[in-house]
Amino acid sequence: MFSSTPSQKSPDRSGCSGFRSLLSRRQSIQAGVLGGLGLSLGDLLRMEGRADDTATQAFSAAGSTGKLIPKTLSVIQLHLGGGWPQQESLDPKPEAPVEYRGSFGVTKTRNGDVFSDNFPRTAAIADKVTVIRSLVGRIPDHQQATYHLFTGYTPTAVIDYPQMGAIVSHELGGRGELPPYIAIPNNHSFAGSTGFLSSTYAAFDLNADPGQKGFKVRDFSIPDGVSAERFERRRSAREIVEKQIRRLEADPTTLDTMDDFYKRAYTLLTSSQAQAAFTLDGETEEMMQLYGRDVVGLRGPDNRFHPKGLAERLILARRLVEAGTRFVTVTYGSWDSHVDVRGNCLDQMPALDHAIAGLVTDLAQRGLLDTTLFWVTTEFGRTPKVNSTNGRDHWARCYSNLLAGGGFAKGLIYGASDATAAEPARDAVPLEDLLFTIYHQLGIDADKELVAFGTRPIEIVKSGKLVKGLI
Amino acid sequence: MWIRNLTVIICVMVSLFSVSAVHADTPTDAAQVPGFRRDVMPIFFRAGCNSGTCHGSARGKDGFMLSLFGYDTKGDYERVVNEIVGRRVNVAVPEQSLLLLKATGSVPHTGGKLFNRDSEYYQTLLNWIAAGAPDDAGNVAATVEVVLSHERMLFERADAGESLKVTARDSDGAARDVTKLARFFSNNESVAKIDVDGRVTAVGPGDTHVFARFGRFTVGVEVIVLPPAADFVWPNPTPANFIDQLVFDRLQKLRIAPSEVCDDETFLRRITLDLVARPPTIDEYRSFIADTRANKRAVKIDQLLADDAFADYWTALWAEQLRVIGGNYAPVATDVKAADTFYQWIRKQMRSGRPLNEFVAEMVDASGSNLTNGPANLYTMLVHKPQFDPKAFAADFSQVFLGVQIQCAECHNHPFDRWSQDDYYGFVSFFTGMKRKPGVEPRERRIYCDTSAPPARHVVDGRPMPARVLGGVEPVPAGGDPRTALAQWLTSPANELFSRNLANRIWAQLLGRGVIEPVDDVRASNPPVNGPLLEALSQRLVDAKFDLRSLVRDICNSKVYQLSVQPNASNARDLRQFSHGHLRRLRADVLLDSVVVVTGVTRRFSGFPDGTRAIEYYPRESGDTEGPHFGDPFFATFGRSSRGTICACETKKEPTLSQALHLAVGDTVRDRLGSSGELQKLLTKDATPDAIIEELFIRSLCRRPTGEELAAMRVLVNDSGKDRTVYEDIFWSLLNSSEFGFNH
Repeated sequence: MFSSTPSQKSPDRSGCSGFRSLLSRRQSIQAGVLGGLGLSLGDLLRMEGRADDTATQAFSAAGSTGKLIPKTLSVIQLHLGGGWPQQESLDPKPEAPVEYRGSFGVTKTRNGDVFSDNFPRTAAIADKVTVIRSLVGRIPDHQQATYHLFTGYTPTAVIDYPQMGAIVSHELGGRGELPPYIAIPNNHSFAGSTGFLSSTYAAFDLNADPGQKGFKVRDFSIPDGVSAERFERRRSAREIVEKQIRRLEADPTTLDTMDDFYKRAYTLLTSSQAQAAFTLDGETEEMMQLYGRDVVGLRGPDNRFHPKGLAERLILARRLVEAGTRFVTVTYGSWDSHVDVRGNCLDQMPALDHAIAGLVTDLAQRGLLDTTLFWVTTEFGRTPKVNSTNGRDHWARCYSNLLAGGGFAKGLIYGASDATAAEPARDAVPLEDLLFTIYHQLGIDADKELVAFGTRPIEIVKSGKLVKGLI
Repeated sequence: MWIRNLTVIICVMVSLFSVSAVHADTPTDAAQVPGFRRDVMPIFFRAGCNSGTCHGSARGKDGFMLSLFGYDTKGDYERVVNEIVGRRVNVAVPEQSLLLLKATGSVPHTGGKLFNRDSEYYQTLLNWIAAGAPDDAGNVAATVEVVLSHERMLFERADAGESLKVTARDSDGAARDVTKLARFFSNNESVAKIDVDGRVTAVGPGDTHVFARFGRFTVGVEVIVLPPAADFVWPNPTPANFIDQLVFDRLQKLRIAPSEVCDDETFLRRITLDLVARPPTIDEYRSFIADTRANKRAVKIDQLLADDAFADYWTALWAEQLRVIGGNYAPVATDVKAADTFYQWIRKQMRSGRPLNEFVAEMVDASGSNLTNGPANLYTMLVHKPQFDPKAFAADFSQVFLGVQIQCAECHNHPFDRWSQDDYYGFVSFFTGMKRKPGVEPRERRIYCDTSAPPARHVVDGRPMPARVLGGVEPVPAGGDPRTALAQWLTSPANELFSRNLANRIWAQLLGRGVIEPVDDVRASNPPVNGPLLEALSQRLVDAKFDLRSLVRDICNSKVYQLSVQPNASNARDLRQFSHGHLRRLRADVLLDSVVVVTGVTRRFSGFPDGTRAIEYYPRESGDTEGPHFGDPFFATFGRSSRGTICACETKKEPTLSQALHLAVGDTVRDRLGSSGELQKLLTKDATPDAIIEELFIRSLCRRPTGEELAAMRVLVNDSGKDRTVYEDIFWSLLNSSEFGFNH
């Protein structure tokens, strides 16, 4: 574990102690937690097209349906946890003094701007993406900023707010057999969950990393030795047993939910399409190379290349979206570079550059870029000046995000930071406004109020505005 | 619009005269001059200027900040009058004060128009500004109590209405009508609505509370909207004890009939799961069903209460609540050895039937080694941090032992309860001296109170706030360890917050829902659904000298606890008044233990000896213990508390898709249908198919199969002859059934 000795309490190459505690937690999850949240009756009903069920009504404030005409159907969010340096990626400052500029040069983008030379492939497809260089967060703390990014609200002691994926799942439901909201490999543990919404809108965690050998979603296949006939017999037997408690008419919604979970489980376990969506079967070598499966960074102290697996995670995300999932969250890397930001970039950015360009190219080739929004996020950027340990610290006042597709303006660089990437120089975009705009593209009016605890109306995004220049 | 009732204004004016007259040192015309705290601040409150979404937000709004709901009057005066001289308040041309122009919508205002120029709010502000916008001189009488005109509102039909009047009593004894300065809200608008003027309108059958807020007070009145009397017949059930009496009283008042008492099979399963955290064995089933004594349920309850497993279950519940996690990162004082010492100490208290108030008091007042003195680990486990954090600890402490969330008051007075910042910081000061110093070996920390440590300081003005109990007037005596006084106050029979919290949590554990729900969010605006019931449960706990088993015995012997889950026409919609049983998802640990008991195939937990039950498991980690830990992956999937926080909401009761998938094809059930275990024993007994099916039903569901079920299952069996797989499949279906996964 990362925090097993006192000497590691100060920031080191794996990040500050707050970030490391997250890492150790996430590792323990990856090491074999089933994890677990799922989806429920509400989603299932919506999947069957009954969008106006009472559950939805119950959460909708009267008078506003909150529905707009959608410009995009799905979102793939690639989250770079820890704080991705804007200077070393989308917002280089080649003319700033070296202690601000950092170690890297620039590369020209296809549309005449420059990115850091860590991103040559992304620069080559810059005509297909939208870059925001003037995003404004609030709190340079991992936990609070991550929660802010995922929910749109900073954490409070009183109200737990739902994640964007949960809200999308609640508002739009799914588009097929698959769960509407899926996390690869897991829900980020700082990112909140369903907040005041029912936990039935939570992300379905894969609890497995597509990048690892022998990748298989847990509890996702009928055991060997149980034939299709036997599985069917189990199903019949269960139906016989369920009748008795049904007869009592006790808590019918609970029993409906259970029934629907089992139906959904049977479908996921027996539908060849659903099973296939959760694998990488049939992906060609060429496709793997497009996403940069074999691209590696530096060799680590353990003499291994790491981290890997982003290509596979994004390919899986694309397959899930193709199969009808609304919102897929993919997490990658460890970006909390308080120490040696150069090494951190050289290590992780080549694979990231390949994968971003690969996914955008792939989505465009498949004609999915218009109906899918790819969104590269980070909880905050990093300090303008390189610190005494050659790293950069947390910086929420101005940082960058990349978006592609989903009706966002192609080839646009939106906003600008000042000479050292410290403050927005023009067109500042508060995080709330970006979230509002993404909801808008999904056809959700984020001014709509959801009702928490049965009585308390809470806007999806508080005082967000549509950033018209982005779309 | 705003001036509806001239008499109210006259009342206000009259009381204004009378109160101002108290201040003899003010100028003679002071009678007309509104006071800032008394008259101006309430307008900010009523109009919503200082609410969290407007200028009361932590950073203000559009460049102007007010303290949230007015907790910082001095600061608010400065910001309104002196921050930008002549702008917000213009004493030369009062009408041009931005305060008035914005509020009346005369200039663009993000918050829109709040009142008219001819409203009394406008007039009050104008008069105040015209008088030079004076700050209050000397001590101003503060509101000490807010009283409503009604104790209860009862409506026979929807659309009926009544108006609520709000009276504020000041510290100088004066009372004034503040209906027009209060804000109103309803806890459930599908039962009753309340408008800005305090007019309550019935919407649909049910019970709820509506509230008025004024100053830092939130006061409520119960509103009952009755269903039609015509179709209702009170069945007049005989109460078995005081619990039934109070619940039935309430139900009769609400025109809800309770369900029937459940049958013996259901009772046996319910009580066994609730008290000893596993389903009954087949022998227990047979002997209970064969028992013909009239008091056999009471006998069963006593028998289970005497079982060590009862104590072990409550040990698990306390350990979860107190966030017991063991790690091996020495500096944070939560080594596995410390965790185990704490756990064993809790178990000893539970097994010996230690009174709960003594149990808590010993922890609160504990000092010494984390490795040898179990209870001292309250100060290492409740908040897992490398440094002891008095604020976080005080907040969690209050939530666990009182059910009260005081942390809101760190930054501002609690908006929906009576807790002020003074209460909060005074409470934090009980723990500002708590220290953990290294002991004789690396894993050891010695917990002690540094009596020379200064108290917490008030966030607004930096005043030191000596340790003071919640709601207390005077600080506890200075000198020495303030925790002794805290423990005495906390666990005293006179402290209703404490006994009510315990009683409510015990009730919730057995009924699936607290009389106050959530159990750890007790506040003025979240009243009990049956006040007399909670009082009686609390009193019973006190009378029984805080003996857990006594209260549990009474609850379990009540008819209310034993009601069937089958609803009737009048109670099908009731979810909160305990009119019938509900399906309660088994806790993750109880579910896992149930699978193990029923199948007879054990489950290993890493780091624990063989034979450890899931309820005895707590996370043992290989690092520090900050943050959420489920330990075994099963618990993450099935929503056992991660112990990341002390919130009762950590324990998830909602089923998920992942759970269905895991039970359907995961290793928990899959690996327990095979060649070892009870199924195998049963099959080798050479019993008839019917006997096998019957035994599987009793083992899994604590009941015999119905004739219909038996016939249907026999069809499956006949299809496959003597094949054992059919019994595996039937067993699978029982373990995957809703009847198995819920207590009902």
